[in-house]
Amino acid sequence: MTILDINGLSKTFGSGELAVHALKDINLSVSAGDLTALLGPSGSGKTTLLLCISLILEPTSGTIIFDGKPIYRNGWTDIDLRRLRREKIGFVFQTPNLIPFLTVRENILFPLELVGITGDKAEARVMELLEYMEIAHRSNYLPALISGGEQQRVSVARALANRPKLILADEPTAALDTVRGKKVMELLKKIAREHQTAVITVTHDIRMIEGFDHVYHLKDGQLNNAADAH
Amino acid sequence: MDLAIRDIAQHKGKFIATVIGVGLLFAVVLSMNGIYRGFIFEGLSAIQVTNPDLWVVERYRGGPFNEQSTVPEFFHYSIEALEGVEKASPFIFYGVERIINGNRKRFTIIGYDVFGGLGGPQNLTAGRQIQQAHYEMVAHEKLGFRLGDKIPLGLHTYTVVGLFKNGTAPDGEPLVYLSLPDAQEILYLRDNEEVRNQRERLQQTLTGPGRLTPSQAKKYVSLLVPDIHTVNAQLVKLTPGADSAAVARQIENRLYFSVYSNDQQINLMMQGRLAMPRKQLLLFRIILLIVSVVIISLVIYTFTMEKIRSIAVMKLIGAPNWVVVRLVLEQALLLTTCSYVFGLGVIYNTYQYFPRLVRLTLFDDTVTFLIALAGALIASSLGIWQALKTQPALALGGH
Repeated sequence: MTILDINGLSKTFGSGELAVHALKDINLSVSAGDLTALLGPSGSGKTTLLLCISLILEPTSGTIIFDGKPIYRNGWTDIDLRRLRREKIGFVFQTPNLIPFLTVRENILFPLELVGITGDKAEARVMELLEYMEIAHRSNYLPALISGGEQQRVSVARALANRPKLILADEPTAALDTVRGKKVMELLKKIAREHQTAVITVTHDIRMIEGFDHVYHLKDGQLNNAADAH
Repeated sequence: MDLAIRDIAQHKGKFIATVIGVGLLFAVVLSMNGIYRGFIFEGLSAIQVTNPDLWVVERYRGGPFNEQSTVPEFFHYSIEALEGVEKASPFIFYGVERIINGNRKRFTIIGYDVFGGLGGPQNLTAGRQIQQAHYEMVAHEKLGFRLGDKIPLGLHTYTVVGLFKNGTAPDGEPLVYLSLPDAQEILYLRDNEEVRNQRERLQQTLTGPGRLTPSQAKKYVSLLVPDIHTVNAQLVKLTPGADSAAVARQIENRLYFSVYSNDQQINLMMQGRLAMPRKQLLLFRIILLIVSVVIISLVIYTFTMEKIRSIAVMKLIGAPNWVVVRLVLEQALLLTTCSYVFGLGVIYNTYQYFPRLVRLTLFDDTVTFLIALAGALIASSLGIWQALKTQPALALGGH
């Protein structure tokens, strides 16, 4: 089942002589359970592509079909895009980006409350995720009081809270050492396999994407499909 | 989940320090309200405590409080003879400073007709009214006198026979009531050397060429003593049903005085002696309120900026705008309310130690709180605007 289908996507900043063509004719298709890696040097357009897939940045041209629905068509508003993000997309960042004044438990609870899941049902889901990530013993800790690896696991748990169709990971291992980085990548693989969640990860580090289904190279805004792992 | 409360709970120390700082500022605002009210209350206190139907003062003068007024003492007989006047009595009023029992005391003496005249002390808290023509006084509690205390004033010693707590001069000094002759004696008491000098000057004037012989002049000098039978005003009580304006016109036209009702007397003070300080205090209150709002605005803005990355994350993971707006707004309202309550607590526990009256009123407290809340809403708009324009991309490190 295709979760994300991008066709002919381009993004240009500015106009005339000052125009910067950040993305050029990108085509990408991601199915449920797929592990997709986007590689590329700085300035290649990785973040711009991620922002377009995150439904934060509207492309200049091309189409994005997410979970069967064409985005930015038929009067999509910012409210619709946010709803889609909170219900169907999970985010894992380069740094954990946990909300510092919420405990581990509350950080995972927050996205659940945003979609109206509260009370025992929410608490049960939080406990399930804490145990799945093996951080239940840190439940009432503030993020600042746990290690970087644990913070990243909380970040993954938060991304999984609403059972998203797609997880977008922006260099999730960049702030971790190799051992911890590999653990996080293993976790993403496990999630993709066990929950049939599509995972797209942006990374600099080719060592971290072992076992990924699709690997794309971005260079000067163009996606090189030749690096497909299959 | 209440994000604002969670954030504050994690930054208690910072929040409390801010509340104390802003709260002290509110305490200053509230104290200025009280000082303003107290200033007006004290400014009008003597008028309201005395409360005659009419004040008769020197012609073309706005006295006796707003400006100096001198009228002959015995004109109260002439005023009493007019239709519509039930009673008229003399009233004298002046400030003094004396060292009493080693302490420097400033107070204002009111002299009145103690035998049924108008303008005496009201609502005694201890003791009794003056019952003798001389050497008794009724004093404001603020002076620290006790019943039976002997207070030396001028040539004589006066016994405190009564105490009260309502009544101050326009400049806030406590009142002391004496019989009219005692008050006049203290007011006009002159130094012996000055008396001798004046007699010599008078004798020289009388013995000039073509005038009296020195022996004749000496006989007259002792008779020509300065007149101390002057007062500052005559107080009038009207007969029931009398037309106040008509009586005032009679006094003005026949006796050539100026006449004011109590309301007019209050108006004279408000437009005159109290006007400039009132404006000054009012302006100061407004500036203080503006400063408070600006400070709250900056605090809220700083609080918001410290959370800007968290706000970007919230927006990225799909939090609607109202979640972010609520976070900023709730913190602004909480900060304002807690600071205000702290300031209120400070001023209500300290206002009695101010040297002059600080008159706190529920009305002023409520209006200040509402203005502060409105200010907080305006102040938080800066933080809200900053939060709303935060791009979710910030969480990804882009844009």
